[in-house]
Amino acid sequence: MGTIVTIDLYGDPSVANELDPALQLAVESLHDADDVFSTWKPESPLSQLRRGEIELATAPPEVREVLEACGAARELSRGWFDPWSLAGGVDPTGYVKGWAAQRALHLLLGAPVFGAVVNAAGDIATFGFPAENSSFQVGITNPSDRQELTAIVSLNGCIATSGTYERGPHLFDPHSGEFASRLASASVTGPDLGLADALATALAVAGTDFLTVIEEVTEFEAFAVTDDGERQWTSGFPLLALATVRDQGPRPPTRG
Amino acid sequence: MKRSKYVFVGTALGVAGVLSFHTAPASLTFASSPTNGTPTGGGSAPTTTSGSPTGSPTTAPVTPSTTIPSGSRTATGPSVNYNFGVLSVTVKATGKKVTSVTIGTLNDGGNYRSQSIDSMAIPILEREAMAAQSANIQSVSGASYTSAGFAQSLQSALQQLGI
Repeated sequence: MGTIVTIDLYGDPSVANELDPALQLAVESLHDADDVFSTWKPESPLSQLRRGEIELATAPPEVREVLEACGAARELSRGWFDPWSLAGGVDPTGYVKGWAAQRALHLLLGAPVFGAVVNAAGDIATFGFPAENSSFQVGITNPSDRQELTAIVSLNGCIATSGTYERGPHLFDPHSGEFASRLASASVTGPDLGLADALATALAVAGTDFLTVIEEVTEFEAFAVTDDGERQWTSGFPLLALATVRDQGPRPPTRG
Repeated sequence: MKRSKYVFVGTALGVAGVLSFHTAPASLTFASSPTNGTPTGGGSAPTTTSGSPTGSPTTAPVTPSTTIPSGSRTATGPSVNYNFGVLSVTVKATGKKVTSVTIGTLNDGGNYRSQSIDSMAIPILEREAMAAQSANIQSVSGASYTSAGFAQSLQSALQQLGI
């Protein structure tokens, strides 16, 4: 995946020495995900599958699991997220980063802590809480000034953010067959980071119209920043605060 | 009840062999993190430090006292190929606190795309710094792209510093 993952654990200091086993499992699972799903490693099972050297039936079970989930995400996103649309074979990378972080988080459930955050380069999975009577509060980067935030959310579960402001045009529009992005930034919250990641990609490519699609997806909510800096979000988005912007005030939320 | 935040930084990258992770939970707090000792002790209210009556100063909680020197240190990872040339990553730390992550050397052969190099991975760490500096947020979500080369050099620099 070629990315940086940080793991934060929240617990009583007295258990600090008991965290290693769970941490190790979580970290190993991230490397395993990279070994299996890397499109850069020619020997990875996914690369072999893309070249047609192995069949899905003989691929590791997690490949089948991920591709099945990608199929469901494609359907849910009405084709806006489609790992099968690019030339060169299926590329589930847009789902795998979130999925891998989510899997690592599950392994941390065994640690004697009351909260954990796995942040895979901006895609975040959490469980528990950072302190008594509080929930995780997570900032969303301002796409036009990444030193700043555009909003803060009260997070119960996961959040994924997609956009082209870091990496340049890399989002593929399966409907037009061209690289495209209709939003500066697209964030999706929900109980599963893999699906949140896929839906955030779909939202970035499809544009604000897609907010109404996410309104219909149970337990998932979305927040969008347009190229003009307009911010729109679904009715249940766990928005805690909007950062002030110089040019214009916040727009009212969209309603499904 | 005293609460602590343990931060573990690793890189999951596409280069085999560099991936020996530290099993000890390394504490990574940035220089200007909140000074109440337990960054999360007060939840969303930074003034509520009642949860940490022991008043242990600034740094974090876990610091397994090994041979980590307490002074300011710098390490630079190896020069590695990235998409547009060759780079190395420099990490500065005080004790086990990372204070900055910068590009140490960069040879891009004049490729204009390299101007966006710092828009690759450094922002991720900046975001972590931002989260650490704020008593109100624990993490930051954003789009990102990290080259494997950056992550590789960073990992090596962190290892040199014992972080």
